[in-house]
Amino acid sequence: MAEMKRFECLRCDHRYMAEYDRKVTVERTCPSCGSNSVKLESKKPAKKPAGNTNTASAKG
Amino acid sequence: MMDVGRHPKIKTLVNSEVEEVSGFVGNFRARIRRNPRYVVAEDCTACDECARVCPVAVPDEYQQGFSSRKAIYLPFPQAVPSAYILDMENCLGSEPIACGRCAEVCEKKCIDFDDQGEVLEVPVGSIVVATGMKVYDPRMNDEYGYTRFDNVITSMEFERLICAGGPSAGHLVRPTDRRTPKRIGFVQCVGSRSATRGVPYCSNICCMNTVKQTLQIHEHYQDASTTVFYMDIRAFGKGFEDLYRRSRDNGTRYVRGLPGNVEEDPETRDLVVTVENTTTGKLEQHRLDMLVLAVGLEPHKGNGKKTVDEILNLSHTSDGFVLEAHPKLKPVDAPTRGIFFAGCVEAPKDVKDSVTQASAAAARALNLLGAGKVQVEAITAMLDTEQCIMCGVCTRVCPVNAITASNKKQKQFPSIIEAACAGCGTCAAECPTDTIAMRHFSDAQILAQVEAILAEDRMSKILTFACNWCSYAGGDMAGTSRLQYPPSVRLIRTMCSGRVDEKFIWHAFRLGAPLVLVSGCHFSDCHYIDAVTWTQKRVEKVWSRMEKLGIRPGRLQLEWISAAEGQKFARVMRELHEHLHRVTPAEVEETIRILEKQPPVPGRSKTAVAAATA
Ligand SMILES: [Zn+2]
Repeated sequence: MAEMKRFECLRCDHRYMAEYDRKVTVERTCPSCGSNSVKLESKKPAKKPAGNTNTASAKG
Repeated sequence: MMDVGRHPKIKTLVNSEVEEVSGFVGNFRARIRRNPRYVVAEDCTACDECARVCPVAVPDEYQQGFSSRKAIYLPFPQAVPSAYILDMENCLGSEPIACGRCAEVCEKKCIDFDDQGEVLEVPVGSIVVATGMKVYDPRMNDEYGYTRFDNVITSMEFERLICAGGPSAGHLVRPTDRRTPKRIGFVQCVGSRSATRGVPYCSNICCMNTVKQTLQIHEHYQDASTTVFYMDIRAFGKGFEDLYRRSRDNGTRYVRGLPGNVEEDPETRDLVVTVENTTTGKLEQHRLDMLVLAVGLEPHKGNGKKTVDEILNLSHTSDGFVLEAHPKLKPVDAPTRGIFFAGCVEAPKDVKDSVTQASAAAARALNLLGAGKVQVEAITAMLDTEQCIMCGVCTRVCPVNAITASNKKQKQFPSIIEAACAGCGTCAAECPTDTIAMRHFSDAQILAQVEAILAEDRMSKILTFACNWCSYAGGDMAGTSRLQYPPSVRLIRTMCSGRVDEKFIWHAFRLGAPLVLVSGCHFSDCHYIDAVTWTQKRVEKVWSRMEKLGIRPGRLQLEWISAAEGQKFARVMRELHEHLHRVTPAEVEETIRILEKQPPVPGRSKTAVAAATA
């Protein structure tokens, strides 16, 4: 069953809602920058990502 | 068609559907359902006695509904076999027999109301897919008043009207009053070349079909006037420009612009077409007796429960046409060896191109069978049963069904059918115990490339895995198109992005790669059917693991780039070059430190494998 989930673009950091069905793998494209590096947003990152603090802030 | 029907070595199964195909090149097995015909074709002499007494009349599909046929009928005059068929849906009934007049008059006694059809299992060495095309249905959007005005017809319908074997014996008549139309208009690109109505691609044949039809009209009716409304005329084939010129010389007027409005005069049933002539910039009104819509083509994927794509595991492009193994080098081959394409199932094409392609497909199929052996490229997978835990992953992920299933109870290991293996490497990448190795694009080769790239000046490099067919070719396209992209990109070619094993990615990060890109074909273009979906799942898994370990997932990027997308390739590489500056040496060092404590594939320790497969 498809449900709405939050996705984050690993290229431009844009966050958006889209349909998600665990059983179906679909090609995803960031609506903001067109990248395919789109990751299902996890509820809580286990650890704070190391090193870089210079990433662009989330837009969406 | 007659020659085919008579050929001693060609068996024709009409009124049949392929339900399932199993096996591999040289050893396919097709399950074919022959639907009941209710007439013994071998005995039928096509005397027409049965049709004469049949009381049922229904619209004749072959004549586009312009005339009727009986419930028992010959589908069309040149049908092979030349035998009648009973349309049971429209027959008055056979259980119990409600009419039975056809059976009464048939001297040969070839009507068989008890025909149940049959299921055949046929062994075949190669398969040619030639399921053809269907035309765009103008009813969906009521194109140019097609559903409201009877004198608006499609090019297919026009073809029947002007044909000597058609419902009016070749006399062009308009549907409302059976009068010969004197003013005939043609509208081009109906259902083609539109992002919102029909299909976005050019249907290839419509321009020349219209040119031909205008010539036919002027040949038969010297006093007729013809007008073609078009966006641009594509007369690109041999002799086509000449035909187009002849059409103009014969008096056909070509108006550059598609009608904005079509109305019908309720008294005369004439059509009033309003169009902006984009050459003159003026609004024109045309009063016509008949308007012909040059409808576009769409791929036809069969009439059965499953489409031909599903039966043969074929990939297709975004427009629905089947995808060839290589657009230039293997234009009639399917990615699955032993399967070939002919005609419009591959792309819209005219008769000449269809015949050319069919000849090529037949030659390719014959070549294969004549050789008796299949030469396999040395890129196939190998399986070492010693390490195999019979988890079944390889069988599940193989896009071409080249790996037989294992059976733990019977201690039966999976095995690779080398003749069927296409060498995508998805099995090798997914195998949790590294039981499967590739003959080429091996782990050792790819890991060595990773090491070589990162040996020096690693902070200025974007390690990119690119699949042979699409993203690598997209890079080539960028190069040949002289598109600039930063020199930081370092490519490692694999046959399919499905080959990119997690351990290649982790190895790169362990060696201090600041940024890794996995790139492959768009889902609809994947040359290994659905192997690309495994790439995405795998990258998602690595992202999630990176996050858990405290490594920024953005350092692993994913991109689908087709062979034609040179511009996208260059743009992505420019973007990633910018991205590269976000990664600091400290971040890379921290990643190396984190991964030092992890197994080669984090999360895939021996115990994890055992747990995952238990
Ligand atoms: Zn984005």
